Amino acid sequence: MHDLTFGIIGISIAGTILYLIRRDHLHSHHATWWLAVALGIVGLGLYPKLIDWLAIHLGIHYPPSLLFLFGIMMILVKVLAIDIHQSQLERKIRRLTQRLAILEDEQHDKNTAEE
Amino acid sequence: MNSHPHQHILIIIPAKNEAAAIGSVIQEIREHFAGTILVVNDASSDNTAQIARDAGAKVLSLALSLGAWGAIQTGLRYALKHSYQIAITMDADGQHEARSIPVLLQGLDQQTCDVIVGAYPERGSLARHIAWAFFRWLSGIALEDLTSGLRAYRHAAIDLLASPSATLLDYQDVGVLMLLHKAHLRIGEVPIYMRQRLDGGKSRIFNSWWAVSRYMLHTAILCTAQLKLPKKFQ
Repeated sequence: MHDLTFGIIGISIAGTILYLIRRDHLHSHHATWWLAVALGIVGLGLYPKLIDWLAIHLGIHYPPSLLFLFGIMMILVKVLAIDIHQSQLERKIRRLTQRLAILEDEQHDKNTAEE
Repeated sequence: MNSHPHQHILIIIPAKNEAAAIGSVIQEIREHFAGTILVVNDASSDNTAQIARDAGAKVLSLALSLGAWGAIQTGLRYALKHSYQIAITMDADGQHEARSIPVLLQGLDQQTCDVIVGAYPERGSLARHIAWAFFRWLSGIALEDLTSGLRAYRHAAIDLLASPSATLLDYQDVGVLMLLHKAHLRIGEVPIYMRQRLDGGKSRIFNSWWAVSRYMLHTAILCTAQLKLPKKFQ
């Protein structure tokens, strides 16, 4: 039961990602992360003992809490990566807007000189 | 080419919806200054651009509103592209006097610095003075007036501030000064006088406790991130 749930979740995530790329809603650049997540979930479904083994070696008494910790950490990393990317985009948009204004002015000057 | 003492100087005025004040501001500057006046129209919804153009200024219009610093940086990039040696920034609301322009230029020469700030520390509320003292302490920049928008930049400073590393700033104040400070550019200050704004309005930043808190937090984070680390952490 345990394995099956993980398998279904993993495969539906992978399927959704591929569908979104196919429909051109997702840049394939972002897909790697999500496909890796899907793979990880399927992996856990196939080898559920993996998390118990890891928890014992890390000294965690209740293995499922390690699963939650992992999940939250992954989400934190992903969200931070989005904010960094967002800042880069903001910088690009501002530079472009400035450049457009300067180029528009040059174009305007050229047109008035020709008239 | 006509030659006058101001031909290598550009005056940059960021303007967003300043139709009421911009015309007289430009007229007043033209009485004291013979060079190019550049108004950067920050996506105004009124006819600021047309009024500025009619008053004899050159106008660049931004397609999206970038805020005051984004507009000023547009002007600095223009100055860099057209090889101006000095750029002076002024507000569009009439609180900066055109008489201050020669004072700034004189300060640049006499103090041999790359940036000169027109300082009027007498203005402002208690909140503003507390903010200044706090940021002087946090940033280690010992200027009287950290938020003055009346400044003159020499070529080295224009070059730095026009670069992408200054693009994510939002205000022309402490963040800009810290960037200059870090690049070892010399920053000087001259006392000037500032009027009440022509529209009678209040400062954009210091107009409500909510806005002040947001601004203080934003700038404090910026300062903290720029703190000099001991050598072993660099």
